[in-house]
Amino acid sequence: MDTHDRKLFAQSLRQASEQHTGAALDAALDDLGWSDALAGDARDAVCLLFELQGAGNVTSSALQSVLAQALGVGPGVGVVLPPLGKWHSPGVLAGEQLLVQGLAMGALTGGLAVVWESKEPMVAVVPADDLNLRSLSGIDPALGLVHVTANLPLHAFSPAPANWPAAIATGRVALAYELIGACRSMLSLAREHALQRVQFGRPISGFQAVRHRLADSLLAIEAAQACADAAWDEPGTMGATVAKAVAGTTARTVGKHAQQVLGGMGYTTDHPLHQYVRRVLVLDQLLGAGSVLTREIGAELLRTRDVPEMLPL
Amino acid sequence: MELAAFRSALDGWLDEHADELTPADPVELSGPAVLDAHMAQLAKVKNLAYGAGFMRWGWPERVGGLGGSSILRAYLGEALTGRGLVEPGVYCMTEVLAPTMIDYAPAGLAGAMVPRLLRGDETWCQGFSEPGTGSNLAALQCRAALTDGTWRVNGQKVWTSFAQYADRCILLTRTGAPDSAHRGITALFIDMDTPGITVRPLETMNGIPEFSEVFFDDVAVPAERTLGEVDQGWAIAMGLLPYERSTALWHRGAFLRQRLRELLTDVSDGQLAAEAVGTAFAQLYAFRARSRQTQYRMAAGETLAAETSIDKVLLATAEQSVFDLAAEGLPEQVLLDDDDVGQAWRTEYLYSRAATIYGGTGEIQRNVIARRLLDLGPDR
Repeated sequence: MDTHDRKLFAQSLRQASEQHTGAALDAALDDLGWSDALAGDARDAVCLLFELQGAGNVTSSALQSVLAQALGVGPGVGVVLPPLGKWHSPGVLAGEQLLVQGLAMGALTGGLAVVWESKEPMVAVVPADDLNLRSLSGIDPALGLVHVTANLPLHAFSPAPANWPAAIATGRVALAYELIGACRSMLSLAREHALQRVQFGRPISGFQAVRHRLADSLLAIEAAQACADAAWDEPGTMGATVAKAVAGTTARTVGKHAQQVLGGMGYTTDHPLHQYVRRVLVLDQLLGAGSVLTREIGAELLRTRDVPEMLPL
Repeated sequence: MELAAFRSALDGWLDEHADELTPADPVELSGPAVLDAHMAQLAKVKNLAYGAGFMRWGWPERVGGLGGSSILRAYLGEALTGRGLVEPGVYCMTEVLAPTMIDYAPAGLAGAMVPRLLRGDETWCQGFSEPGTGSNLAALQCRAALTDGTWRVNGQKVWTSFAQYADRCILLTRTGAPDSAHRGITALFIDMDTPGITVRPLETMNGIPEFSEVFFDDVAVPAERTLGEVDQGWAIAMGLLPYERSTALWHRGAFLRQRLRELLTDVSDGQLAAEAVGTAFAQLYAFRARSRQTQYRMAAGETLAAETSIDKVLLATAEQSVFDLAAEGLPEQVLLDDDDVGQAWRTEYLYSRAATIYGGTGEIQRNVIARRLLDLGPDR
């Protein structure tokens, strides 16, 4: 996409994400040709949409589409995600049976791709009717997560090899952008409140303790943004792991600061903050939480006793 | 010259001349002698790199450069500090002071002086802070008065890095009324051998006398040595700080990566928590990702400003994390050993404690972020 096209596309996506969520947003994305954009220029499609999705606290099937493309299972198919906090493939072989345990979200009608470990990761698309699906409410009902289990005879499918690590990596980058979008909205809500709320005769934005919380939030967000943007320039999957780790940690930090600056207001459901606080807790855990991924990165450095070449000019 | 060509030519040259360029074995040196060795090494490396052309790329032709993008300078500094050929703290002064001269000095003065700095013939320093002027730079009081085409400078500076080695100084002086704050500051380019200047190095906790007090007693400076306009020196200070937070930080990041590698090589099994290692690496990675964008913005001719405070905080945070890890992972070296390896870890660990103090404290950077980037209005 050239600069002009990118700007127009971003504007259209912004309008769609401000007006729609869930199935309606999926329909709007279809109209805008987002799937074609994903196939043609994944970077622009992912950066633009997921940051807007996070900023608007809306949902779509886009994460499924990103994973499906990386797995080569074609558009319109969902993907069974690993259980919360995990990133292993959600299928396990037990003799001739395929046991599935994981999560799903977004449109399910096109069937769900299940990945399992054999000699290499394999994928097969399973009709939704063959899976036990249970809607999850939990801390963030609006996210529409679905619990997935199944016990399926393997001979019913024609599996194909799948690049699960690549799918996890692109999914992590997409989630990093969604977390960053949510963080920018939380910071913006806290900033507006700090400028308007008067105590001791002046806006609380004048107090250094408040200003530094907001400054620390922006610092964390810009660090996460730089990592997410850099992930596209990294040859392996390490960049995606760092991007998700930093974005997840950042969301915890920004959520905490925003909640504190908003005081009692941010604790009510009259104020929109709580929706973001709920959302980032779940997004952080999807495909590996910030704290766990940070530990994984450290363990790998200790194992190799080296620091990989990073981000050449 | 494109970056790829520059990179391969430079890497080849550094490999080929490794014997000449590598510092002399620093065993038996301590305290001021370590800094003497760093300064001598810096002059040697700059001189060789200037002669081979590498130190000239990325600088304008009117100051002895060969032109080309500032990205070339970013890579040169990364290669020199990453290979341990120059100490990043002494190398960074070139990146901070030469751009300021190019932007603000009269053309003839910049053309005559900058090549001496690039070639390693001279050392320059930066006279900003004063005893009563740490975070509140605009309150500086070192006075300059113009009579018959000559400035007379009286007052004191402190925390002036490498002043005892310096041939020249970019000095901020009070030329307006004492309470004129940022409106009454003028920048001067001073010869450090002018009568009336006294330099007294400070003893610091890491044993390296990097910082000095500098006293000015009726020091005469020709009016032609004025940088920018009279009473407009604040713009120079504000223009210099983003340079301090762009290329120079990039070089320091490369040095930190190298030190983290050495730490991971030397640490014994089970000495470090994986979480702490991962955190330090992620901070260093985030700094590098951010600073890399800054290098390309600078190369594209963008004016750098308050947003570089983010780069500065990210680097200082990463630096303290890396050396916190070193103190945990290599306690023998950092705390006890008196050989050159132990001394290097110890001085660097102690220096990292100042990373959130020098060049604008962590608090001042956050004030800048709150005021300029978040537009939170005045804080009082």
